[in-house]
Amino acid sequence: MRIPMHRFKYTKLTKEQIATKLKAAEGGPKSASAFSNVLNGKTVKIVTQDGPTLEYKFGTNRRLTLTEGGKQISAGYGELALNQMVFFSHLIPGEQKGYNVFIDQKTNLATVFEVWTSSGIKQNAGRPNEFTLDDREVQRQIYFGHVDSGQKAPEKLHHYTNRMTGKGIHWKQDTGIETLELYVSVANTNFVELTRHIDDLSYVATSDYVLVDDRTIIYNRTECEFSGIHTCFVADLYGVKQVGVRFGFNDKDELEYYMFKGDGEVVGQLAYLENFDDHGLRPMFAPALAGAPAAGGGPAPAAPVAAAPQKGARTTYRPVRSFTHMTDEEVHQAALQRTSAFGAGAAQQAPPQAVATGNNLPFSDILVGKEFTLRFDNGGPVRDYRVKEMFKLQYRNHGDSAWRDADYRAYEGDDNLAWFSHIIADSKPRASVQVAVDFTNGLATSIESHMGTEYYGNETTYRAIFGVAEIAGLEAPLYVRHQLTDELVGHAFSWSYSDQTTSMHIYSSPHSMSWVIFTAAQALGAEWCSPCIYVKLRPGVYIFCQNEEACNGNQMIELLNTKASHDCGFTFNGGTRGVSLGVTGAIGRHIGRFDIVELYGPKTRSA
Amino acid sequence: MNNRRTFIWKFGAGASAALAATAGTAAGLPKAEAVTSDTPALRASLLEEEKALRKFHQAFEQAMDKGLHEEVIGMFADEAAEVLFNGGVFKGRNHGVGRLYRDRFPAGKTGRRMEQAPGFELTADQLHDSVEVSPDLQSAKAVFPYSIQVGMPFETETSLAAMARLHGEGVRTWWEGGVYRINYRKDVAGHWKISRLEYDTLSRADYRSGKSYAQPILVSRFATRFPEDRDGPDDLV
Repeated sequence: MRIPMHRFKYTKLTKEQIATKLKAAEGGPKSASAFSNVLNGKTVKIVTQDGPTLEYKFGTNRRLTLTEGGKQISAGYGELALNQMVFFSHLIPGEQKGYNVFIDQKTNLATVFEVWTSSGIKQNAGRPNEFTLDDREVQRQIYFGHVDSGQKAPEKLHHYTNRMTGKGIHWKQDTGIETLELYVSVANTNFVELTRHIDDLSYVATSDYVLVDDRTIIYNRTECEFSGIHTCFVADLYGVKQVGVRFGFNDKDELEYYMFKGDGEVVGQLAYLENFDDHGLRPMFAPALAGAPAAGGGPAPAAPVAAAPQKGARTTYRPVRSFTHMTDEEVHQAALQRTSAFGAGAAQQAPPQAVATGNNLPFSDILVGKEFTLRFDNGGPVRDYRVKEMFKLQYRNHGDSAWRDADYRAYEGDDNLAWFSHIIADSKPRASVQVAVDFTNGLATSIESHMGTEYYGNETTYRAIFGVAEIAGLEAPLYVRHQLTDELVGHAFSWSYSDQTTSMHIYSSPHSMSWVIFTAAQALGAEWCSPCIYVKLRPGVYIFCQNEEACNGNQMIELLNTKASHDCGFTFNGGTRGVSLGVTGAIGRHIGRFDIVELYGPKTRSA
Repeated sequence: MNNRRTFIWKFGAGASAALAATAGTAAGLPKAEAVTSDTPALRASLLEEEKALRKFHQAFEQAMDKGLHEEVIGMFADEAAEVLFNGGVFKGRNHGVGRLYRDRFPAGKTGRRMEQAPGFELTADQLHDSVEVSPDLQSAKAVFPYSIQVGMPFETETSLAAMARLHGEGVRTWWEGGVYRINYRKDVAGHWKISRLEYDTLSRADYRSGKSYAQPILVSRFATRFPEDRDGPDDLV
C-alpha cells in the first residue's frame, strides 16, 4: 500500500455489503499454521461479569454450537493455543458479530471479546458535530469471566493493565506479515506495517490491554479512522510469542478473517510515569459527554461529568471528522485578510502557566547587527539578510535591489546557532521559512513552508533545503552540509509546553512520529500520528518538522537540543481566520528509546 | 443604637459550634459574642436557623465537590438570585446562575474543594466564618471561607487540547481561596435559599494537589457578557 492510511479514501461499505462479505466467513477463520484441538469434543460454559453467558459445545469437525440467551447457533471456528491459553474465534451466522474468546486453562478464567460491525454508534449524539461510526469499523466489548465448573465463581478475574505501557515489540507472523508495535499508551498503539506498506509510516490505533498473569497479556487494536480492521491476540512475554486473529476489511474492501501465530522481539521499553501504585486497572474510555464543541465554534468545553461509557466505548481521536476542507484560493483569500506573524509574541513575558508556550526558550538577539547571505544547494534560493533589531529583519533574493521587511523571532538553539522564522512577503500561497544558521560552521538549513497540500488548502507543505551561510570572517564549507537523519528514530521525549500542557513525542520511524497526551494521573492516553522529517544540525541538535495531516493541518517546526532537553520553534497554519506564524517551545524529558532504526529503509521484497 | 443590630445574632465559628451543642440553653451562650435580643425563644430560634444554614452551606459545598450542579442550582432562590464570580454577575436561577453552574463550572472543573496552596494560605482572620440571621427569621447573611479548584478549558483548537478533552481534561486549573459572602432568604415553603452569593477571592495560585509548591497566577476577569460569551455573565462589575 502506497497511499498513506490517513489519506486513503476507504469505501463506506454498507451494512448489506458487509453482511454479504461476512457470510463467506461463517465457516470460521483461516490460519497459516495448523489449528490446535484443545477444545475438540468439549462443552464449556463461560460466565462473564456484566456480560453474556456463553455455552459452547465443540465438535470434532471444527464446528461449534453456541447457546446464548436461549438462542442456539452453529458456526465454524478456529482455535490456537499458547502455553496454558487457548484462544478461539467465530462469527454468529446471519449477524454481524462474533466472539474472540481467551481461556486460561490453568485458572479457568476467560476474557471474551464481542466484536461487531455496522454498529450505528453515534458520537457526540445530539450535538452539532454528531456523526455515526463507519459500518466497516469493527467494534469490541470486553467481558471478563470464568469457565463455570460448578464451583464458586472466582473473585479475581483478568483485568485491564498498564503493564504493557511503553513496551515495543517487532512481530513476525506466520503469514509473513511484520509489524512494529509500540504500546506507548494505555489506550492506543503506535504501529508500523513493515511489510504491508511501502513507506514505513507509523499510525495509531485504539487498543486495550488485559493482564492474564505476569507473562501473559491479551491485546487488541482497531484501526479506527482507517480501514476499521481489528487485530486481537494473546502474547507470552517470556517467549515473545503470540496467537491471535485479524478481522475486518482491508483497503481493497476484502474481508480479512484469519488467525495467526507470531514470534516477536522486544525492541525497547519507555518509562511509564504513573504512580507506582497505579496498575491501570480502570480502562481509559472517553467520557460519553466529552468533546462537544462550543455552539458557534470555538474550543469545546471539557466533559462535565463522565457518564457511564456506552457499549463499545473507547478513546479514539477522530480529528479529520472536524477538519473543514478549504481550497487553496479560500485559504489565500483568508490570508489576504489576515496574515499574522508572532501575534502572541508579547505573551512570552507572561507567566508560564498563562500561555501555551510558557516553557519556550527566550528570544535571542543573535542576529542583531549581522548581514549574511544564505546560499542553498541545487539551484535553491539565495537570500540576503540584514538584521538591525531584535524582532525586525530585512531580506531579499540575492541580486534584487529592494529589501523586504519582515517580523521575525530568533532563538539561539545551540552555541552560535541561530534559529529564526519569518513570513515570505506577498507570497501566494502564503509561505514562511524556518531557518537554522550555524555561524560557527557556516551551514544553513531552511524549512520552506507554504500553505496547501494536494488534499487541503488549509494544510501546509514543507521541505528542508540545505546550504551555507556566507558572512564576513567565516569560510563556508563546500561539501559539508546539515542533512536528514534517523538519529532520533526510536527516541521518545515528553515535551512540556507549559506546566499544564505536555505531550510525548515518539519518533517512531524515519518519516513519521506520534504524539500522546498525558492524563491528570500521568498515564498516556489519547494518541495520534503524522509524517515528519528530522534534520541533524550538530551532535544532539536537530530540526523536527511535522504537519498534523488530515488532522488540523498545523505545522510544527522545532529545533531540538537534546543536550539541554529543550526545544524551541515555530508553528505555521492557516484557515478561515487567515494564516498565522507563531512560536512554540517546551522543556523535554527523555522517556526512553526503542532500538528500531535497523527495521527501516529499503528492503528486499518478494515481487 | 442601630435597632437592627439589636435583633441580630452574630457568631464566630467557635462560638457557633459551642452553641450548636447547647442550643436552646441560655447558659451556653458565650458572653463575648452574645448580642442583645428580645426573648429566649427568639434566641433559640435564631440558633436553630443558624444551625440550619450551616448545614445548608455544608450541603452546598458537598454538592459542589461532587459536581452535583443541578443540586447546587436548586439551592438558589429564584430568578432574582445572583452570583458574583470573577468580576461577573450571573443572574437568575434558571438563566445566569444555571449557566454558571451547569456549563461554566463543569467545563472548568471549578468548585471542587482542595487544600490551600502552600505559601498562599488564608490568614486566620480570613478563615473566620459568621452567620447573621434576621429577627424575622426570613433572611440571613453569612460568610464562609472556601478553598477550591478553579479552571477554564484551554482556549485553543490544537490537537493537544482536543485529545485532552477525550480524557475529560483539556482544562487549565488553579487554586483559589477566599470567602463566600452569601445572602439567604426563605422561600414560600420555609426553606432556606441562596439569594446572592459572592465569591470573594482573597488568594489564588497556580497549584494542583500533589504539587510541592505554588506560584502566582494571573487570571483575567470576565470581559465579555452573555451571549457573546456563551457561558459568560449577565453583567460585569
